[in-house]
Amino acid sequence: MVQTLARREMSLEAPRTTTTAAVRTQGAIGAGISIREVVKRYGAFVAADRISLDIEPGEFITLLGPSGSGKTTLLNLLAGFQSLDGGQILVDGRPIQNVPVHRRGFGMVFQSYALFPNMTVAQNVGFPMRMARIDRETTDRRVAETLEMMRLSDHAGKLPAQMSGGQQQRVAIARAIVMRPRVVLMDEPLSALDRRLRESIQIELRELHQAIGSTILFVTHDQSEALTMSDRIAVMDAGHIVQVARPAEIYRRPQSRFVAGFVGESNLIDAQVLGRNGRVLTLRTPGGHVFEAESRHGVSADSATVLIRPERIAIHAAPAPATLPATVTSALFLGEVLRIEVVLDDGQRLLIRCPDIAGRDLPEVGTQVHVGWGAADSWVLS
Amino acid sequence: MSDATLAASRTPLAQRLKSPVLLLVPAVLFLAVIYLLPLIDLFRVSMSGPTWSTHFERVFSVPLYWESLIRTMQIAFTVACLCALLGYPTALLIHRTRGIAQILIATAVVLPYFIAILIRTYAWMVLLGRNGPINKLLQTLGLIDTPLALLFNRGSVLLGMTAVLLPLMVLSIYASVARLDTSLTRAALASGAGPLAVFWRVLLPLTLPGIGAGFLLVFVAGLGFFITPTLLGGPGDQMFAMHITQQADSITGEGFLQALAVVLLVITLVVVGIAGRIMGFEFIWGGGKLGDGKPRPVATAARVQAPRRGFGMVLADLLGWPLLRLMGLLSAGWGRWTVRIMGGAVIVALVVPIIVVMVISFSKASYLTFPPPAWSLRWYEKFFSDSNWMNAFRNSLLIALLSATISVSLGATAAMGIVRSNIRYKSALMLLLVSPMIVPPVVLGLSLYALFLKLGLVGTYLGLAAAHAIGGIPIVVVIVAASLQAVDQRLEQGAAVHGASPLTVFRTVTLPAIAPGLAAAVFFAFLHSFDELVLSLFLSSPRMKTLPLMLWADINYQLNPVLAVVSTLEVLLVVGGIILARPVLTRGKPA
Repeated sequence: MVQTLARREMSLEAPRTTTTAAVRTQGAIGAGISIREVVKRYGAFVAADRISLDIEPGEFITLLGPSGSGKTTLLNLLAGFQSLDGGQILVDGRPIQNVPVHRRGFGMVFQSYALFPNMTVAQNVGFPMRMARIDRETTDRRVAETLEMMRLSDHAGKLPAQMSGGQQQRVAIARAIVMRPRVVLMDEPLSALDRRLRESIQIELRELHQAIGSTILFVTHDQSEALTMSDRIAVMDAGHIVQVARPAEIYRRPQSRFVAGFVGESNLIDAQVLGRNGRVLTLRTPGGHVFEAESRHGVSADSATVLIRPERIAIHAAPAPATLPATVTSALFLGEVLRIEVVLDDGQRLLIRCPDIAGRDLPEVGTQVHVGWGAADSWVLS
Repeated sequence: MSDATLAASRTPLAQRLKSPVLLLVPAVLFLAVIYLLPLIDLFRVSMSGPTWSTHFERVFSVPLYWESLIRTMQIAFTVACLCALLGYPTALLIHRTRGIAQILIATAVVLPYFIAILIRTYAWMVLLGRNGPINKLLQTLGLIDTPLALLFNRGSVLLGMTAVLLPLMVLSIYASVARLDTSLTRAALASGAGPLAVFWRVLLPLTLPGIGAGFLLVFVAGLGFFITPTLLGGPGDQMFAMHITQQADSITGEGFLQALAVVLLVITLVVVGIAGRIMGFEFIWGGGKLGDGKPRPVATAARVQAPRRGFGMVLADLLGWPLLRLMGLLSAGWGRWTVRIMGGAVIVALVVPIIVVMVISFSKASYLTFPPPAWSLRWYEKFFSDSNWMNAFRNSLLIALLSATISVSLGATAAMGIVRSNIRYKSALMLLLVSPMIVPPVVLGLSLYALFLKLGLVGTYLGLAAAHAIGGIPIVVVIVAASLQAVDQRLEQGAAVHGASPLTVFRTVTLPAIAPGLAAAVFFAFLHSFDELVLSLFLSSPRMKTLPLMLWADINYQLNPVLAVVSTLEVLLVVGGIILARPVLTRGKPA
């Protein structure tokens, strides 16, 4: 970039080589990030609307959301590719909005890999070290170490074009972590890979995170990826963070219809609240079926939306206590699970997933069955 | 499928369509007869002295010639350097700007590219003349008392040639800049590379092929340059191609003239050959590799990989990088402003001469002066009422139409043959088809002259149209081949699966998809012939003049505003054409 031939007059070597590089080579600890009331607008469109998020040092946090939800914008603001229209971002307590991209000292992995096509794998991975003017010996040693870690040692002399997509992405990851940066940003790094490869790199990334201890901010629109890898997930929608929690919490206790629908498959039942006994609510469906559901928070309204995950619904051939009669409308064999759709006699449709265990047959469409769930299997949305 | 189409699919036509190689035959035959044979004959005649080397010895022993040869190479090299230096910031500027500004800047670069060299050189003569805008401005500002002699020296030759060839360089560099993945820059920044390092380690190395291609195209074009140095240079700025035309005027002994041409041709071919070995011959037509069926990336990669830390890299590390770091100490924003100011200056230099000429065409004065003392349409009246101009205009129009017809019918079929066949030596064939782009027009003109004398084609419409088609075919092949490659073959397969015969597939799927490309090809082939001067100088007769020939004669004898009128009309023609061809230009620069 010629436009950037310009370099600030403030010295560049002093802070860089003494603080950052030295700390990093000692085996760094992730930095804490504090995003405060961050705003980013594109014309009239608000891509980030007063977003606040605190990320613990060394945490693996995933920004999850549909496209256009603002997750990539937030990542770009953190990386410094875009400037803030409001708010503050602090890294280890220091504001970074005036620090140029190349002095933020982050590692970053791109969706398109963004490997320099004119450099070998080793040169690509060594690039950040070279930019930090670390001596050749240290660089070579660290590059070799990192390539070893990513199981790329045999490919050091290759050019990116000679490698497969999965290998290229591992090189990109190696480049992002070679400096053992305090923060690594990952922008949908696995979305261009096929499923099998994606799953194996997910596990690799998780182990890598434990090994290097950097704070990792991972952006994805793939909910299963988010659930597999993250310490915490921040679900985003329309420029807001709608829920931040551990994966199990997000899945089991989503706070909104949006989160329930976006993460995993869900059955949502709108019901009338009949009574309350401690944490257990008694509810009635529009069709008159009465059931119980658990709620952590007070429900003041007299109607509520109840989430029941498909795998929490039990399916019986014969009537049993606390079950509802239903008719099978579709039944699919998916391998380890059966996916069955039923409709209650009041028209409420339910999706059920049950494991493929011995003695269980795929019910035929039109069969009468009985479905049921316990109070602890359901969750009342606020 | 009806019986009729079923029957049609059994005709030999369908068979022929199944072997697209045959589509190459007409163009190859045409070029063999009218292009390759005359060049071979040129070599034969050049060696027809007492011994084969007699004429060549004279070329290299008479100081007039070999000094001019050295000068030609110096000038071409300097111009190529200047173009690279000025073209890079301009290409970056186009890449960096957005929206309407980008369209305007790109147009300012592309538009001059399609205007005749003769007219752009004329515009510089106007601009730099004794009564031209620059002298007038300096006098008004009180900086000088008497007009400066800005014309007819080495400086004006370099300036004129650089201005004329700059669009070629900008387009070449822009193509390589635009291809870059923007996340590469981001990746470098995120890896801790400062703006300077991003430029030096990532942007520059990756756009080097574009710079190299542009540099060679400009250098090779500069070697054979004739119009601009003749009009803008002084006696000390004789370029090699000028000797060939001058000698052609005063017929010297048969053979020596051809030897001069052969020397120029061989130098050109050697330069192109070496460059082609290093970076692939694709640089000539600015396109990607044609699908040869061979996996190329691995091969290239292996070649690139071998010199791990080549001489260039060591040099870049030891010399370039420290230098750049010194520059980095300059104040912030310096780099951005360099791009803006240099790019801006280039665009002004490309556009202003054209505007000045257009303004002068409405002048009332009977000599060139700027600003015009009064306005009138008298020069337009003169142009449209003068039977000489009108005849020349009609001649040019007819020849250009005829030439465009030949170029497009032969070139488009050849492009089909190249893209859709799987023959071996595809690259060699493509090279043959586009090679007329790099042969100096002077050499081509001289070689054709002998053939045309024999066949009695000198001064005929068909002869000139055919000669112009030699340069028109490569233009058509490049544009149509690019459009064809962009056609998704799955669409064609889809149509065929659902029952369309090959001919129907072509008519309903392929043709609509390449139609914009074909239209552009027609226009540019037309324009190529309409603007052609050098071949016409050799091949026309006094009774049959084309518009460029009339312009050429007038520029040499009297610089009057009628020339400005013709130039203005040509600019309008090109603007109209570009507006028509815009869909193609925006899709993928064929130029």
